This record gives sequence, structure tokens and C-alpha cells, in this order.
Amino acid sequence: MRLSGAALFSAALAAVAAFAVYTALRWPPKAALFPLVMGIPLLVLALAQLVVDLRERPAAAPEARRAWGILAWMVAFILLVLLVGFPLAVPVFVLAYLVTSGRERWLLSVVLAAAAWAAFYLLFQRLLHFPFEDGLITGWFQ
Amino acid sequence: MLDALIQGLLLVLQWNAFSLMLVGMALGFVVGLLPGIGGAATLALMLPFVFKMSPVEAFAFLLGMHSVAATTGDITSILFGVPGEGLSAATVVDGHPMAKNGEAARALGAALMSSLVGAIIGAMALAISIPIVRPLVLTFGSPELFMITLMGIACITSLSGQGTRAQLKGFAMGFLGLLLATVGQERQSGILRFDFGLMYLWEGLDLIPVLVGIFAIPEIIDLAVRGTSIAGNAPAAKLGAGVWQGIRDTFTHWWLVVRCSVVGVFVGILPGAGGGVAQWMAYAHAAQSAKDAEDRSRFGTGDVRGVLGPGAANNSKEGGDLIPTIAFGVPGSGAMAILLGAFLIMGLHPGPDMLTKHLAVTYSMVWTLVIANVITVVACLALLPWLAHVTRIRGSLIIPFLLLLVFVGSYTANKQIADLLVTLAAGALGYLMVRFEWPRAPLVLGFVLGKLAETYLFISMARYGYAWLTQPLVLVLMALTVLIIVFPYFQERRVRAA
Repeated sequence: MRLSGAALFSAALAAVAAFAVYTALRWPPKAALFPLVMGIPLLVLALAQLVVDLRERPAAAPEARRAWGILAWMVAFILLVLLVGFPLAVPVFVLAYLVTSGRERWLLSVVLAAAAWAAFYLLFQRLLHFPFEDGLITGWFQ
Repeated sequence: MLDALIQGLLLVLQWNAFSLMLVGMALGFVVGLLPGIGGAATLALMLPFVFKMSPVEAFAFLLGMHSVAATTGDITSILFGVPGEGLSAATVVDGHPMAKNGEAARALGAALMSSLVGAIIGAMALAISIPIVRPLVLTFGSPELFMITLMGIACITSLSGQGTRAQLKGFAMGFLGLLLATVGQERQSGILRFDFGLMYLWEGLDLIPVLVGIFAIPEIIDLAVRGTSIAGNAPAAKLGAGVWQGIRDTFTHWWLVVRCSVVGVFVGILPGAGGGVAQWMAYAHAAQSAKDAEDRSRFGTGDVRGVLGPGAANNSKEGGDLIPTIAFGVPGSGAMAILLGAFLIMGLHPGPDMLTKHLAVTYSMVWTLVIANVITVVACLALLPWLAHVTRIRGSLIIPFLLLLVFVGSYTANKQIADLLVTLAAGALGYLMVRFEWPRAPLVLGFVLGKLAETYLFISMARYGYAWLTQPLVLVLMALTVLIIVFPYFQERRVRAA
């Protein structure tokens, strides 16, 4: 039998609930009460839903490749922030996305990236004086 | 009293105060569009600037900024599904589907107009109730506040959709939300719950990364997968034309708007109930007051009533929030706690003085709320046709900017890189929930109310033992809670019998 995505999601939910209940059992009653009162019904409901999911025929999966693509861009942005910090990551990310994934013209991409940088700089750095952490790489040069 | 009312108006209309209010509003407009760095955070960042201002100028500046941020937060919620204010996510649920159906202008018109009505009702409540609100606030102890949070959680039944299966999923998500709220240090015993050895989790999961991730990221993924503009294939003719329709909707459903405004004021008055709660309660109330099960099933697919309710509550809450802040120095929310700081900087002491000696200053705040909201709504209505056209720009141009909005917004809430990971994880969860048809609203409601519920429950138990269960007001609230839970089932059965 092939497991559907929906069934896997319900199973994962049940697993989270089981883990929460199991962990909470070792705590003193005061701290354990709330997680138990929430976790046990969640476990029961998730298992019930799992049964429903297993009986139903899985629906056709929507196109997943583009969904993975955009998730990869999000991960890339976070890595970029870690490496060079927000102020530099913002224009670089916008430019990279527009040129590669968006297949926009260079001129438009550069203009929009510059606009993103300018808005970011004016609002957070000039107006709000918001402190952003340095990236790993930009930190070396300080 | 009438003298003070007029005097307050004249104070706000003075050149200095008025121009500072406009500056604050411009700032609030931009900040309101960004998630994360919402009202409270900007108020804190702007506090150092008020030292040199007079009290009236300072409050015109701060309140002008704050009330605009609440309104413009709805704009991104509707257009992009990105809650512009972490605390104003309820507008997304029906507002964004409307934008996808090509009704962005109508949704925006409805949100703006209901916000204005809400703000005026909130300001009126503030003006009228200051002298009489004291007994009300004082009768609400921890047991009553616990029951109020339970009432909010009970709204899950009307947020979950129809039928046993939808209810099962809705309740499961409500419990998951409540469970997520228990992450972090337990306040009574100091036990660390679900911290996985990470210091970041000691404080618990922050509201903003979780909310923004769950609501906004699935929309961005959807936009990328469809490869079209937000309004997709909706006919172009409807687009700019709906503004007046939205404004008319506000008055067609005027009674709903008034009721939701009152919900907002009431939740605002209660200390510690927080801004996020008011919108969700109003949304749940709007869904609950649907005529029958079929009527209710329209909520979540782009029903204008789902926009009107939260819109009204969002801005009436500001007036409500100010009531305990001014009258007893008990802040009704995080933003108000910071505003309290401004009081102290100004050398004003919240409490009886504000109702006697400084009554004109108090009324200048009422006027600021009204005037700032009127100006915002008029300005936004003028911009609306252009704003609505954003939903027709091709997705590939908008996506990188939406991602910036999401991640910069989440980061600015706490200045922690880990918040970005939480946003991403919440986004993945939100995407899977949408794909496998689990409702998101109950999860958020549980998450928002979970921490409050636990705290109030423990204070009640520590203070009263089990005796609090029999307090009269608690019993009334308990009955109301049961009513909220069974009402949709009752309604469904009655319809089936007919």
C-alpha cells in the first residue's frame, strides 16, 4: 500500500503529540498539566484523522517542483543573511531572484534591486537606526 | 467636560501637534506594511524622540503612528496574504481570497471603512467610559480572564468549517496551537518545556515569525506555483471598481460592524488580553453570526463579512486599550506598555489626574485617534485603485519583495536569526496544512490564547483553589462558552430539520 501525503502529515502530527505527551509525563504535575491536557486529545484526533486518510484514495499531487524551488530560494536567502548580513543580502537576493528565477531583463532587475536597497536603507538604517547583526563574512572585515 | 472636549480638539489642531501627527502617520503607514516591526516595536524605537515634545505633541505623534499602523496592516494582509501587523492576521483569512477573486478593491474599501467606524466607536468608548470603567476592570480577576480566554478558544468550532471531519481537523489544530504555546520556561515551576537544549526557545516561540510564516509563506508558494499574478485569471474590469461596493458593504452590515467594534473595545479594555485576540474574536463572532451552516461555509473563501469584523475590531481596540492605560496605568497591551513609558517621560501620572487636571490632554488623545484615522482612510481610498492593481503585476516580480517583507519583518520583531528559521518552519507547516486541508485559523487562535490561558488558570488556582469555579461572573462566562461551542451544531440540526 502506498502512503498518501495526507496520511503522512496526520501520522507526523500524531508523532508530535505522542512525543509531547511522553516528554511531559516526566515533569512535575504543575508543568505537565497543560501539555498533557492539550497533547492527549491532539494524539487521539490525529490518529482518528490518520484512519480517515488511510481509507481514502490519495488525491493527485499538485505540481511540487515549483514549490520546492521557492522553498530553496527561502533557504538561500537565510544563508545569505547569515553570511553577509541583511543590508547586503537584500539587494543581492532581489537581483539574483529576478534575473534567474524571474527571467526578467537586467536593467529592470538592477533598478528594482537598487530600489529595494534604498527603501531598506532609508527606513531601517537612517530613520529607525535599527541594529542588524553582521554576517559571518562581513564580520571579518570589521 | 464639554469644555475639555473642545479644548482637546484645539490642542490637536495646533500647528506643532498636527504636523507631528502627520509625521507619525507617514511613519506608521510604512511600518504598518511591514510585518514584525509593528506598532509596539516602532513606538519603542520612536520613544527617544519625544523627550523634547509637549505631552499633546508626543501623544499626537505616537498615537497617530500607532493607529495608522493598525489600518495599513490590513492592506498587505488583503493584497498579499502577508499580515502587515503580526497582530492583525485575521483579515488574511477572507481578505486575501477576495483579492485572488479579483475583488481586492472591494476588500480594501471594506477594511478601511470598517476600520474608520471601529476607530470612531473606540474613541467614543474612550471618551465616555473613562469615568465609569473602573468597576468593570476591577471585577475582572484571573478567574474571569481565564474564562474569557476559554471563550476565545471555544470559537474554534465556528472557525473550523462544516461537518464532523472539518470539526475534527479544526479541534486538532486548536490543540496543536495550544501545545505550541507551552514551549519555553514554565512560569510557576521554572521547568523548561520542549526547549531541545536551545536557549532560543526558553522564551517560547514568538508570535510574529509563527503567524507570518503560517499565513504568508503558503501564499508565496502558491503564487510561485501558479506562475500568474495574485488576482490570476479574474476579470480585469472588476478590479478598481469595487471600492464603493466595499464602503457600501460596511453600511449594509452596519450592525455587524458595530458589534465587532464593541468586541474590540471590550478585549482592548481587558489588561493582558493583547491585540491579537480582539481581531480573532471579532472574526469568530462574524462567522458565528452567519444565518445558517451554508451561509457560514462562505467564510474563508472571500466573504466580505470576514473582512469587516476584524477591520472594525482592529481599530476600535485602540480606544479600548487606552482606557485602562490612562485611567489606572494598567497597560492593555504591549504597545500600551510602551506608551505608558511616554506618560512617565512627559511627567504625567496615569490615574485620577488624567481625568481631572489633565482631562484636556486625555481628550486630545481621543481626537488624535479620530483625526488620524479619518486622514488615513481618505488618503488610502484615494490610493486604492492603484493599490488594487498590484494584484495584477506578474508574480515573478513580486515574489522577491514579498519574501523580503516576510523575513525582514520576522527578524525585526526580536533581532534573532533563529526567528528566520522559525518563520521558514512555520511556513512549511502552513503550506502542508493548506495542501492537506487543515484549517489555519484555529491553530493561530490556540497559539495566541494558550499562554494567557495557562497563566490565568494557575493564578486562579493559587489564589482561590477550586472556589473560583463558583464565582457568579465565572459561571455566566462558562455558560456563554458552552453556548459558543454548541451553537453551530444546534444551528446545523435546525436547518436539517427544516
